Amino acid sequence: MTTPVSVSRITASLLALGLAMPAAAGELTIYTALEEEELAAYTEAAQKALPDVELNVLRLSTGKLGARILAEADNPQADLIWGWAVTAMMDPRILEMMSSYEAAGVDVLPDRFRDPENRWFAPIGYMGAFCVNKPRLEEKGLPMPTSWADLAQEGFKNEVLMPDPNSSGTGYLHVNAVLQSMGAEAGWAQLEAVDPNMAQYTSSGSKPCKSARIGEYTVGISLAFTAMQSIQEGYPLAMVFPEGGVGYELEANGILSSTDNAGDAQKFLDWTMSDEAIALYGEYKALVTVPGVGQSEAAAAAGLPEDIGTVLADVDFDASAKSQVETKKEWRERFGR
Amino acid sequence: MTDKTLPRGTSGAPPARFDGDKALALVCVGVPLIGLVLFFLYPMAIVFLRSITTVDGEYGLSNYAEVLGSSGFWRATRHSMIMGGATTLLSVVLGFIIAHGLYRCAFRGKRLIRAVIVLPLLAPSLVQALGLIFLLGRNGVVNQLFGVEMEIYGFWGLLIANTLYALPQAVMIIGAALVLLDARTYEAAEVMGASPMRQFRDLTLPAARFGILNAAFVVFIITITDFGNAAVIGGDYSVLATEIYSQVIGQRNFNMGAVVGIMLLLPTVAAYYIERRAMRLQGRHPVNAQRFVPRFTPARDLPMAGLNLLICLAVLSVIAIVFYASFVRLWPYNMSLTLKHYDITLAGGYSSLWITIWISLAAAAGGTFLVFLLAVGLRRAPAMLAQPLQVLAAMPAAVPGMVLGLAYILTFNSTATPLYLLYGTAALIGIVNFYHYHTQAFLTVMTGFRQLPSALEEAAGSLGAGLGRVAVNIIAPFVAPMLISVFFFLFMRSMVTLSAVVFLTTPDLSVAAVTIMRLDDAGLTSQAAAFSCCVMAVVAAALLGMKAILAYLGRNAGTGSDG
Repeated sequence: MTTPVSVSRITASLLALGLAMPAAAGELTIYTALEEEELAAYTEAAQKALPDVELNVLRLSTGKLGARILAEADNPQADLIWGWAVTAMMDPRILEMMSSYEAAGVDVLPDRFRDPENRWFAPIGYMGAFCVNKPRLEEKGLPMPTSWADLAQEGFKNEVLMPDPNSSGTGYLHVNAVLQSMGAEAGWAQLEAVDPNMAQYTSSGSKPCKSARIGEYTVGISLAFTAMQSIQEGYPLAMVFPEGGVGYELEANGILSSTDNAGDAQKFLDWTMSDEAIALYGEYKALVTVPGVGQSEAAAAAGLPEDIGTVLADVDFDASAKSQVETKKEWRERFGR
Repeated sequence: MTDKTLPRGTSGAPPARFDGDKALALVCVGVPLIGLVLFFLYPMAIVFLRSITTVDGEYGLSNYAEVLGSSGFWRATRHSMIMGGATTLLSVVLGFIIAHGLYRCAFRGKRLIRAVIVLPLLAPSLVQALGLIFLLGRNGVVNQLFGVEMEIYGFWGLLIANTLYALPQAVMIIGAALVLLDARTYEAAEVMGASPMRQFRDLTLPAARFGILNAAFVVFIITITDFGNAAVIGGDYSVLATEIYSQVIGQRNFNMGAVVGIMLLLPTVAAYYIERRAMRLQGRHPVNAQRFVPRFTPARDLPMAGLNLLICLAVLSVIAIVFYASFVRLWPYNMSLTLKHYDITLAGGYSSLWITIWISLAAAAGGTFLVFLLAVGLRRAPAMLAQPLQVLAAMPAAVPGMVLGLAYILTFNSTATPLYLLYGTAALIGIVNFYHYHTQAFLTVMTGFRQLPSALEEAAGSLGAGLGRVAVNIIAPFVAPMLISVFFFLFMRSMVTLSAVVFLTTPDLSVAAVTIMRLDDAGLTSQAAAFSCCVMAVVAAALLGMKAILAYLGRNAGTGSDG
């Protein structure tokens, strides 16, 4: 039955298989909440640095990603989590799913930017900001707000938007920063003072800025990323960091212990701390926790100070993660609409 | 074609039934039933289990106690019920006006009205949200033109948005009742000297009642479960769907969200039973239906045409302004025109568009077929089986897409069953799209079937035609207009729906709605609008193409199809 032709065909296909094998060595499924533009740049560079590993990246917003990871918890689909809010990562149910790995080069990070058990580390982060619509501010004859206290002025009645901390991580980022930087009592009093001026508490973190940029409202308490992107596009926005410090969030990386490709996953994590990766962070990020990284052009153009530390609130992420549930609950009781 | 199969003397012929016929009836009910059980009931059972899983991982009712004890839940419930009621009232009245105009009045431009009225179905939710804000927002066109500052965010904005979305579905279902109303009854009424008003009150309204009630049911349910509109235009008007979002996405607490999800089923089941009860009071429809061709009656048709036009203009303006804005450099600050927003490179660019079309065609074809089978089967099924099955088939709309999507992860991402093979495939996305819209599809076909003269079917049966032949030769052509609208409805929704699908895409498999969301997430709202316009254009082209094919087939078969 076996003819010479089929034998040679089998040999050929075996050969082809043999040749194909090393190329298909590894595949990684990566879940991320990084922003599209930086994500495209990082992924391209990482893929070049790891040509033998096929990088399959799924991008979802922080909240949706969390819901998905937890729903998949019994049979996790991802090998890695990349660039995801550390406040979400520190959820005990998530930490339980992560494995411990000390990525090469991670030791340059200050302790507060990495898990003591090496389940995550965060070389980058993002910050909150006020998005102020300049034409609308002028039209209403209002002064440029520079602090949370300014937003409590009479003139800002129904002109301020902010995300609901119960729906949005960005909302929690701001509330937590106010509470931690002012102290609980003064913090709640400050939020109480601004509450009557809040036109809406939105469910999305970027929506306040997007509403402010098209002139629907004067101030959107939102993200610096959205503010900078809007300013770059030409919207007449001012990005303001409130005096006393603005909230920020770290973007953490880690490996799921369920992965069947730990070797490649570790290589990928090593890459996220490589010089190449760090240089890219410097291009795209306002907030890089790796010491000694210069300011990005976009950040400078948008008016970010060179030493970012001067505008950041003093945030204790461990305490923030622990008090999360209580804080959200109390916020809801005070301000839920 | 109906005339050929009309009954002659049928008195003596005994009902010639074969076992094959019974088997076929069983298949008709069985196949859609298996689908409903696997892809709706089973995932919802898992949602229910989650809703009674406490923080300690044990089963108990503490989640329910917590939800029922919070004032936020009751406020949201009150808001949802008021909003559901108001939207239902408005949508059904407007929907009836449109459907009555389309099928019972004589004026020109019906094709245009039909095209405009479905626009909100083929528009991604972003389009409607942006359109309303650009038009009626605080810095919107209307406020700029008239120098007023109207406040759209809140109850009124949400009511408008919900009505826009619900209206085409109300028209589809009420239309299914009106299009098949028997012409002869009206001729008889005319001969007997009944005034048009009297005809409307005594003939049209009672006959449309089934459709109106079904439409009201659907509108109420989709309104109380919709999250998208509430998030963008609802302001602080919290509703149950925003409660679920806050629990599931904001606090990563699926079990608590599941509680609200399960509670949403209660008003749905209640509403459905009330509706069925009301229906029982109404008798079956006259025997030999003949398509009604309205004659021009100025007193009726001119105001109807005016109202139709007005509603269509409102719908059109919301979509049109987004279409225009997608060419504007920087809305509303730099109104010069540009094509730059159509140059989309991020978030996978245009690549997701094509796979979405295939998924949607499959979901629409498979879905229409299953719903038709179910409706045929239900006619033969014993009441004991038929009634619970009807409730089950009408339930899926009560599940918010977000809950359904996550339920699919919990169900199909488990290696315990062979269903795991579906996880991460395009097939599962098609399936979730169909079951997400099962209620609307099912009730439209049922409304159409209601008008099917049972005598026709019985006669055919007594002449020896088996169920298969009856279904293919008699029922299918009769309800063809409904099947076509259901097919188009499922196709359009599958192209743009996001809430469930977003949880089922994979790195290799994304759909158009997810691309739109990602562009908007990235702050590129204009690009998201541009991509949405491309989706709408592709859907519109596909619809026109399919209509052309249908018209061609219809002509060849000797029957006109104007679905």
